[in-house]
Amino acid sequence: MALLKTTLGIRACLLGAVVLLPWGPSLGAQAARTPEYQVKAVFLFNFAQFVDWPAGAFPDSTAPLIIGVLGDDPFGPYLDETVRGEMVRGRPLEIRRYQTIEDIKTCHILFVSPSEESRLEDILANLKHRAILTVGDGAGFAQRGGMIRFISERNKIRMRINVAAAEAVRLTISSKLLRAAEIVTPGKP
Amino acid sequence: MSLRDKPIRQKLMAILLLTSGVVVVLTCAAFLTYEFVTFRQTTLKNLSTLGRIIAANSTASLAFQNEADAREILSALRAEPHIVAAGLYDKDGRLFARYPADLPVAALPAAPDQDGYRFEHSHLVGYAPVAQASNARLGTLYLQSDLTAVYGTLRLAGAIAALVMGVSLLVAYLLSATLQGTISRPILALAHTAKGVSERHDYSVRAPKLGADELGLLTDAFNQMLSRIEDQDRARLQLITELERSNKELEQFAYVASHDLQEPLRMVSSYTELLERRYGDKLDDKGRTFINFAVDGAVRMQRLINDLLEFSRVSTRGKPMQPVDVNRVLGAVRANLSVAIREAGALVTNEALPSVVADETQLVQLLQNLVGNAIKFRGGERPLVHVSAQPGATECVFAVRDNGIGIAPEYFERIFVIFQRLHARGEYPGTGIGLAVCRRIVERHGGRIWVESAPGQGSTFYFALPTGNGGQVP
Repeated sequence: MALLKTTLGIRACLLGAVVLLPWGPSLGAQAARTPEYQVKAVFLFNFAQFVDWPAGAFPDSTAPLIIGVLGDDPFGPYLDETVRGEMVRGRPLEIRRYQTIEDIKTCHILFVSPSEESRLEDILANLKHRAILTVGDGAGFAQRGGMIRFISERNKIRMRINVAAAEAVRLTISSKLLRAAEIVTPGKP
Repeated sequence: MSLRDKPIRQKLMAILLLTSGVVVVLTCAAFLTYEFVTFRQTTLKNLSTLGRIIAANSTASLAFQNEADAREILSALRAEPHIVAAGLYDKDGRLFARYPADLPVAALPAAPDQDGYRFEHSHLVGYAPVAQASNARLGTLYLQSDLTAVYGTLRLAGAIAALVMGVSLLVAYLLSATLQGTISRPILALAHTAKGVSERHDYSVRAPKLGADELGLLTDAFNQMLSRIEDQDRARLQLITELERSNKELEQFAYVASHDLQEPLRMVSSYTELLERRYGDKLDDKGRTFINFAVDGAVRMQRLINDLLEFSRVSTRGKPMQPVDVNRVLGAVRANLSVAIREAGALVTNEALPSVVADETQLVQLLQNLVGNAIKFRGGERPLVHVSAQPGATECVFAVRDNGIGIAPEYFERIFVIFQRLHARGEYPGTGIGLAVCRRIVERHGGRIWVESAPGQGSTFYFALPTGNGGQVP
């Protein structure tokens, strides 16, 4: 019952956001009008549900799950709207915006803005040993050591996942998420 | 034919079969109901389990809007042929993926309904929430299962139940056919014996005793009754035989005696007459008076012998029975009695009389005796005699009514006994045999005769003749 209430509450809260989210395949006519970053914001939020962080990634069981954006924020209001009031596995969600890699203290999901494309190698090298799920949409993001890359394909957002990179920092990506994505191995095109 | 009239064997079988049949039918009905209910529940549970699995698998597809993946997950439903339709809705209630892939969109609900599973028409439908672990809801899974499995199971259960019923009834039939014998056999044996007894009047048979139960007691009682009847019957037959023999002897004796008595009597009377004629003038008055007494005695004896002969002839000289018109009989009686009627100034009237089966000569004799008596025993007035008849179903009652001197009730029986007279010879002539002969004639015809009267009130003599064996001819 509590779950149902929560679910309903979430639905109500999200109403504004989801109504504007017809990026889905069955609604092609509306899809063109759905901002790409609105969909990506929802995906970022959904990653929180399908990825397990190693013990120690959170200071305690109710500590917030932090979604960070490095560089210029392309999401506008969408990301904040998506996570507002939401809980994932009992944790609240928090959005942080970073200008430099040094600003990142505790972070669980990091979206690397296209604005950081030129510094990507440095950024990824810097985060190499931290349990942060790195997400980006630049070309070759996954092959270059990023974990999940968004690809826009015929009005749909697809994902390319570098499982090895995630496993290296003991992030466990749900097989269900892997099913829905394309898996890439670094070094190969 | 109602059950009441069926043979006891069939009745017992019907009772046994009906009882076991009802039990079997009720048991099978309970079995079918149980099957139906449990299978529906099982189907519901299976579908909800399946729904939970599919829903759990399709979270990522919904979360990351991967339609192809969703379709693939749904296509796993092929393994369950009873799932006829499935749909995955996103959290805004829009159809995201469907199964089978070529299913028209219209076949699925436009928007998901409340979560849960329910029977709708001929289908079982369910809505399951899609959510990753305990997180926010991602969408809804719709499943639609046809109930052919339920009905198939029900059909199978029905077939099994029918088979069980058939076999049970067959076994019940065979058992009851065997077991009903324990009750019906002694009863049938009793009935058979009783039938034999009543049809052949054979009291020597005995019903076989097949057990020591109530039926055994009944058989014993029945057999005891039979032996008592047998004893009594034997005694009765013996008595009848003896009676018949003695009666025959008596009749023979009466006939022979009266016949043989005629000869010596004739001798006595003719020689007495001869004595009077030849030697009458040689005798004094006293001697002639003695001779007159002797002649008178001989004449009376002659009449007695004649009457006795007549009485015995009723049975020895009877003629065969045939239809007789009683009107004609009464005509003959009138003619025979014409002198007496004229002398007494009597009026003999009658109603229309029927025909009866009788010995005509004896019927004439009977009526003549009764009408003659009516005239003979007249009072002071002119004798009025009326003959009537009352035909009935089993017998025809004739009545001869007069206005004579009447009879006191204490003599009603005595008057029918041979040689019984109520009056002195001087008062009314006769030997006192007339009514005895009447009774004998009526009894020979299987009828009865009686009188209703009171002194000074006239008498009515009734006699009833049976109308059986062809009976009364109209």
